[in-house]
Amino acid sequence: MSLIKQLWLTILAILLIAFGGSLFIGITTTKQALEQEVRIKNADNANALALSMSQLSKDPTEMELLIAAQFDTGHYRRIELRDPEGNIMESREAEESIEGVPGWFVDLTRFSIPAGEAVIQDGWQQYATIEIETQHSYAYRSLWRSTLQLIGWFGIAAIISALLAWWIVHTIRRPLQAVIDQAREIGRRRFTTSKAPATRELRDVVMAMNQLSSSVSGMLSQESEKLDQLRRRLQHDSTTGATNREHFMRLLETALKREDDQTAGIIAMVRVSRLNELNEQLGRPATDQLLAQIAAALRSVAQNGHVGRLNGSDFAVLIPEEEDLEAVSQRLTERLHPLLDDQSVRVALPMALRRYRHHETRATVLSSLDGELARAETQGDRAVILASDDRENVLFHTHEAWRDALVHAIHEGISLAHYPVLDDQGHLLHFEAPSRLRLRDSWQPAGVFMPWVSRLGLNSEMDLAVVDAALHTIAKDNTPIALNVSPRAANDATFIAALKARLQAAPEAATQLWFEVPEIMAVNHMENFRTLCRELQRFGCRMGLEHVGPEFSKIAQLHDIGLIYLKIDASLVNGADTSADQQSILRGMATLCHSIGIKAIAEGVATEAEHTCLLDIGFDGVTGPAIRLAGDT
Amino acid sequence: MTNSHSVQDRRLGRRRFLAALGSTIVAGAFGINAGPVAGNMDPAQLRRSMRDQYGASGVEVIDEWLSLLDRLADRNLDTQLREVNDFFNRRIEWVDDIDVWGQKDYWATPLEALGKGRGDCEDYSIAKYITLTQLGVPVATLRMIYVKARLGRSDTTIAHMVLGYYETPSAEPRILDNLQPSIVPARQRTDLEPVFSFNSEGLWTGSSTSSKADPVARLSRWRRVLARMTEQGFL
Repeated sequence: MSLIKQLWLTILAILLIAFGGSLFIGITTTKQALEQEVRIKNADNANALALSMSQLSKDPTEMELLIAAQFDTGHYRRIELRDPEGNIMESREAEESIEGVPGWFVDLTRFSIPAGEAVIQDGWQQYATIEIETQHSYAYRSLWRSTLQLIGWFGIAAIISALLAWWIVHTIRRPLQAVIDQAREIGRRRFTTSKAPATRELRDVVMAMNQLSSSVSGMLSQESEKLDQLRRRLQHDSTTGATNREHFMRLLETALKREDDQTAGIIAMVRVSRLNELNEQLGRPATDQLLAQIAAALRSVAQNGHVGRLNGSDFAVLIPEEEDLEAVSQRLTERLHPLLDDQSVRVALPMALRRYRHHETRATVLSSLDGELARAETQGDRAVILASDDRENVLFHTHEAWRDALVHAIHEGISLAHYPVLDDQGHLLHFEAPSRLRLRDSWQPAGVFMPWVSRLGLNSEMDLAVVDAALHTIAKDNTPIALNVSPRAANDATFIAALKARLQAAPEAATQLWFEVPEIMAVNHMENFRTLCRELQRFGCRMGLEHVGPEFSKIAQLHDIGLIYLKIDASLVNGADTSADQQSILRGMATLCHSIGIKAIAEGVATEAEHTCLLDIGFDGVTGPAIRLAGDT
Repeated sequence: MTNSHSVQDRRLGRRRFLAALGSTIVAGAFGINAGPVAGNMDPAQLRRSMRDQYGASGVEVIDEWLSLLDRLADRNLDTQLREVNDFFNRRIEWVDDIDVWGQKDYWATPLEALGKGRGDCEDYSIAKYITLTQLGVPVATLRMIYVKARLGRSDTTIAHMVLGYYETPSAEPRILDNLQPSIVPARQRTDLEPVFSFNSEGLWTGSSTSSKADPVARLSRWRRVLARMTEQGFL
């Protein structure tokens, strides 16, 4: 039985005992007082009558008249005169009329009042005994009335007490529920903390649980920090802090295959020419310092992009979502050239920039950029070449055209692709469902139009349309679907409201929806992400992060919001089967995820060997080009 | 004679009192009437009361009274009537209440009357009444009678009280009086004129029989003296 129920029962029992007891005692006392009063009246009247009759002559007529007079003018039920042997000489009796009092009440409280008795003297002798019983129906009536009054008062008091009790229970119930919720969350390995309630016992429990939560989150931070250091050692150049060649290649590969708004952007290459000479002139430490400064400058330009050191002298910068070559080159020269001016020797730093687009191959991008850079090197120490974009194959040429086409296409309807995400048994976890829009009479992949959707601020419309399509698909196929929420939409209150309305309308399908946002968005807009999670989890939606990797150490801060899964970025996953270091990082990540009840899923699994390796490491799910649903071709 | 359990309890400390209170409430609650209980005299209590109020001489008198009860226990009714009548007529000097008790018509218990050694007409009657009932004379046969008494040959009359013994309800009573020490049938007492009579019959019926706890008890002189007797250990 619940504590609250027990409390209520106790309160009710106490109220019943208190009021029932008071009522009982009240009625009993009143009854006794009334009985006593009637008894005294009986006795006194009998004595008075006997006294006056003793003084009269004992003429029967006179006796009868006296009794009749007393009976007729007073309130009597019975007046009886008996001779010393007990024979009735005279008797007057009236009906007992108890009106306005229920029969059961009379039976329950039946008065027992003895008749008043007195002896009439005739000289020395006893002439007769007189017995008198007073009418006592009025006593029943007043007892009944006072009972009703008592019940009324006790009723009012009971209502007030019940209200008071309700209020007390209410003040206990809320913090108690919070404690229970927190305990349940901890049971599901969501180490939340909550505000300590005012009730002392509950506060102790909450504080203990908060302590547990904070020690767990401390442990998480430490572990993830260690993993991050390991990852950095593996993926980054120790001198400059830029990513190493291998990792940069994977990042580029992933970037070119992405199905969101980051599929297009700018890639730049910078070369520190004649590095060997520089080494000789400046000395190794100074050269390394210069290289580190250059890398730092590049990072400040790249912001959310990536900086890689492709070999000793070459750096590459990947800036997704960026279109303006001129602006980027401006920023690069502004940051880099002052560094060169500070040097005691002349440093040559040619650079080349170009745009990249969805579904270009990595080889094309790199080889053409390499060519441009070689050309720049010949043109001068600080030459900058912006590769012309003559092969640009775009669907529409103006913003207006894009907007019209996108709005129309979104209105027409979205098609969802289905890429399976399988668990370690090969069963379907959910489908990743990147959107397809019909533009220029053919279905275009997200990589083509998503950059434009972002640029034109149509994210919310787009995402809502995707949700509609997903709910529709779920209703039809009853298979779980994972959707991306674009960072812009996730920060948009009206979008969230509209999304909630849709989920409310389809509560069944909502439980089959998985929502994922890029790691970088969750980390940069942690509060918005928390809000989003809270709102969507209410509908039974599952929340996760995708492209997890670089910011893994910060995910410890998100351990308490009830994430169901993390999708580890392809750049960490690819080649896992051949790299022991990568494996140990991935194993650490998977273990950490499991310790807080989160599924670890690998993205971009490209080969069967990777697949096997990842499952051995302990991953709960995989997705990528090599992953197919059994039975699918 | 009657007594009630709550009276006994009152002598027995607080715990018993609470228990008694509880049982009284329960009894009251279930409508159980604490009916008349046969009186049981408590000699120890009587001596204690006497010593507290009148000292050693009082105890002497009460012991005499107790031995009288013992002596008369198995004797015939005539002897009992005579001996009891004589005992009190001898032991108690007849005076007005106002002289003894400082108030008119104070009804004294036998203990008080014996203790003081003085008393007025109703004190004699009460003492005799109680003593006879202790000896087992049925209550119904004893009645206290208010009479108008003519003193000597003069025309002076006083309000007086005597005890009448009625063999049957309709019989002519025999009179136990302090004015005339011998017991004679009523008809021979030409100096007395009866007015009204009563006894304690019918007093302790009904639910409330306790002496002090019963507020009614304090309202009637007759009930009050009975209550005091209970306190002192007569009943």
